[in-house]
Parts: sequence; structure tokens; C-alpha cells
Amino acid sequence: MMREDKVRRAPMAISASVALALAVLPLPAALDAFRPDFLVLVVIYWSIESPRAGGLGLAFFSGLALDVINGVVLGQHALALTLIAAWATNLRLRLRVFSMLSQSLTVFALLAAYQFILFWVDGATGNPVTNFSRWLAPLVGAAIWPLLMGTLGRIRER
Amino acid sequence: MVAFRNTDTSGRTSGLLLRCVLYSLLALGLIIVDKRYDHLGKIRRFLSVVAYPVQVAVASPFEGWNWFRESVTTRDALRTDNDKLKAELRLAQFRLQRYEALEAESQRLRALRDNTAGVSDRFIVGEIMDVDLDAFRERVLVDKGARDGVFVGQAVLDAGGVFGQVARVEQLTSEVILVSDPAHAIPVQINRNGLRTIAVGTGDMSRLKLPYLPTSADVAVGDLLVTSGLGGGFPTGYPVGTIAVIKKDPAQSLADVDVRPAAALDRSRELLFVWLKPGAVAPAAAPAAPLAPAAGAPTAPGAGPAKPSAAPAAPAKALPAKPARENGG
Repeated sequence: MMREDKVRRAPMAISASVALALAVLPLPAALDAFRPDFLVLVVIYWSIESPRAGGLGLAFFSGLALDVINGVVLGQHALALTLIAAWATNLRLRLRVFSMLSQSLTVFALLAAYQFILFWVDGATGNPVTNFSRWLAPLVGAAIWPLLMGTLGRIRER
Repeated sequence: MVAFRNTDTSGRTSGLLLRCVLYSLLALGLIIVDKRYDHLGKIRRFLSVVAYPVQVAVASPFEGWNWFRESVTTRDALRTDNDKLKAELRLAQFRLQRYEALEAESQRLRALRDNTAGVSDRFIVGEIMDVDLDAFRERVLVDKGARDGVFVGQAVLDAGGVFGQVARVEQLTSEVILVSDPAHAIPVQINRNGLRTIAVGTGDMSRLKLPYLPTSADVAVGDLLVTSGLGGGFPTGYPVGTIAVIKKDPAQSLADVDVRPAAALDRSRELLFVWLKPGAVAPAAAPAAPLAPAAGAPTAPGAGPAKPSAAPAAPAKALPAKPARENGG
């Protein structure tokens, strides 16, 4: 059991670090609004696939890292990621038997909820982002979900 | 396998809820403490040192590519570049000569008026790191931090003019908020006539706006805006932008004025961090002086009989004349 956990944590940490790097990777300004929230996708994936390995801890601490890297109020992404990870863990048994399309739709709901929490914290801390392009990221995220699932699945099986 | 996992994980659902609540409360606590009290500065700085490798790792391929491109430029390109730079330097030196003369003159005049001289002196140069911060805020990350003495609120310039100010300082890096950020406002005055107002960011790097000008205000397309120094955050007299579009609707009481920023907000890589001289805020009083020429005269009666006689004679003309000269320099 211990060994199994250990085997599973390395790909979790690596995929989370890659997602963090992707979150700040410079993109042309036109594409910037379309950047999906890679870290949320990764956290959702691990919450569904191996909830025992500590998806919530991963969500909280990688969210904290994202706060620091992104330079927003400390705890914002940590809060949003924790809640989304908990929700995804709760849904995981249903999600596993869904078709790919339904999975993507569910992931879209999760991503939209994530953006909403961020939006809410932004507003509550006094620097609201009144910009509709924020809601593009969940669309792109849901669209690339099958791709990400395949990639991470292959890494996990290795 | 599946059955085992199901029983096991369903047994942990209550644990999940508990941990979820715990982590969420922790995160909420962090948000509140970070927002309300500034006690997290040290933790943040520590975490930022941990995050620094990620930022460097992301930035390094781009820097490597830049370095590679620079090292394989042809001799011809370098020569044309060199020629161009030499020409620019000649021009700059020529202008600088005049500038020094003007500065000396300005110092003399200021000394005459018992005013604090000088604008600012110390600069350090920081380089923008190739890291995208939040897509919806106009901010950049610069590779100078608390270690180099950078502080929050410090003015940041580039070769063209005012770039922004420091919004947050970490140990090794700092975050600069651009003048074009919607949350940023900077006190400016029109160089031609000394009219003071405030330039506010729009979220668009190629545009600022002047939302507080009445329709009757004396503005024209092409007017240069410089920092007024009021408020003390920015040094006086640096270019902020030129007026690009003016829309005056007679039905409205305020004009709709767009400004093109003087700094290359989307192109600059090197930024100057400025340290104001202690007491350098005082020159900000200079533009305000003509509004109260009568107040200026009684405070300096000891300056001699010549001054009071000169002051009322040309207070209205003196001001437009002075910035115009700065403009030429």
C-alpha cells in the first residue's frame, strides 16, 4: 500500500509542476485569454483517478504556489482548487463511467465554478476583473480535457 | 480491485469533507490575513524564493533563444546597428549639453525661489522577466527585489517615459503595475499650459484616458503630458504620453480624452527604478505657484524688492514659458 502511494505521488508532483510552469509560460497577448487552467485540470484528474493519494493536499499546496507565482492575494487559488478537488472527488465514481462528452461537460462545470470562486475572491478583496474573456478559459479547458486525460493516463500507467 | 477501492474510498468520504473544510478555512484565513494585515510579507517572500526557480525555468528557454539570435546576427546587421546607435548617441549628447545648461539655469532659478532643487538621482536598471502574470491585469515581473532596495510605490521609467510603479516586492523580484492598468492613476499636467489632471489606465497598453477634464479644458491633439509630481509618488517632469484623441460632446460636462503612452509598455525590456531625493516632492509646488502668486509674494518678502515687482507682472506668462523650454530640451 505504501509503495503504491509512493509510486503515484511522483507523477502527481511532476504534472502539477508542469502545469504551474504552463500557467506562467509567456504567450502572445492575443492567446493569453485562451490559456486554459492547466493546474485545475491536473488536480481534477488526480482527484478522479487516485483520490487516496491526497488530491486535496496537492490542490491546496499547488494552489498556494500558483498564488505566489501569479502574484495575487495569498490563498485565492488554494481555496478555489481545494473546493474543486473536493467536488471532483465526490463526483469521481460517476465521472469514471461517463462518456467522454459528458465528462468534458462536467469538467466545464467544474472549471466554471473554479473561475467563479476566483472571480468572487477578486471582488471581495477589492480588485474586481470586469472582463468577459475570463470565461473563455473554462471552454478551452473542457475542450482539451480528453487530450489531457489521455496524456496523464499514459504517464500514470508507465 | 475496483470493489476494494470503492469501499475504501467511500469510507473516506467523511474524511474528505473534513479535510476540505479544514483546507478551505485555512485558505480563507490566508486571504483575510493577507488582505487585512500585511503580516504575510515574510512568508510570501520565502515562498517567492521557492517559486523563483519555476519562473527562471519558464523564462530561460526564451532568454536562451534571444541569446542565440543575438550571437548569430551578421556582421552587417551589427554594423548598421552600431552606426545607428552612434548617430543616436551624438544626438542625445547634443541634447544633453542643452539639458545641462537648462538644469543649471533651473537650479539657479529654484535657489532664487528658496525651493528644493533636483528631481531625482539614483537609478537602478531592472530587466523584465519573461513570465506572464495574470492575463487580466497589466503587470510585469522584474528581476530586482527587496535585496536591491526596491520598495512599494517606487516610480519605474523606461527610455520613453513613465512605465508604472512597483506594486509588490519580493526578495529577488518585484511586480510593476503599468500605467495602463485599469487600477492605476497618475497625476499629470499638460506641458503646454500646465493644466493638471489625472491619467487613468484602460487595460489597453496603447491607451490611457483623462476622465476628469471638463469639455471647456484647453487640450489639443499632440499635447505632451508630463508627471506633475503631485502626490509625491513620481518625480516631476517625465513624459507620460501624448494626447491622441479628443471627443467633446457638448451635452456632457466632461471630455473624452485618449492618451498614447510615451513608454513602450509592450516592448521595453529594461526598466529604471527611481529613487526620489528626500524633499524632492517640493518642486511639485512649482506648477501650483501661479495659482497663488499672491501667496508666494508674502512668504518671500525678504528676497528683495526686485522679486515682488517681477512676480505679479508675469505670473500667467511665466508658467507656459517654462515648460515649453523644458519641452525643447
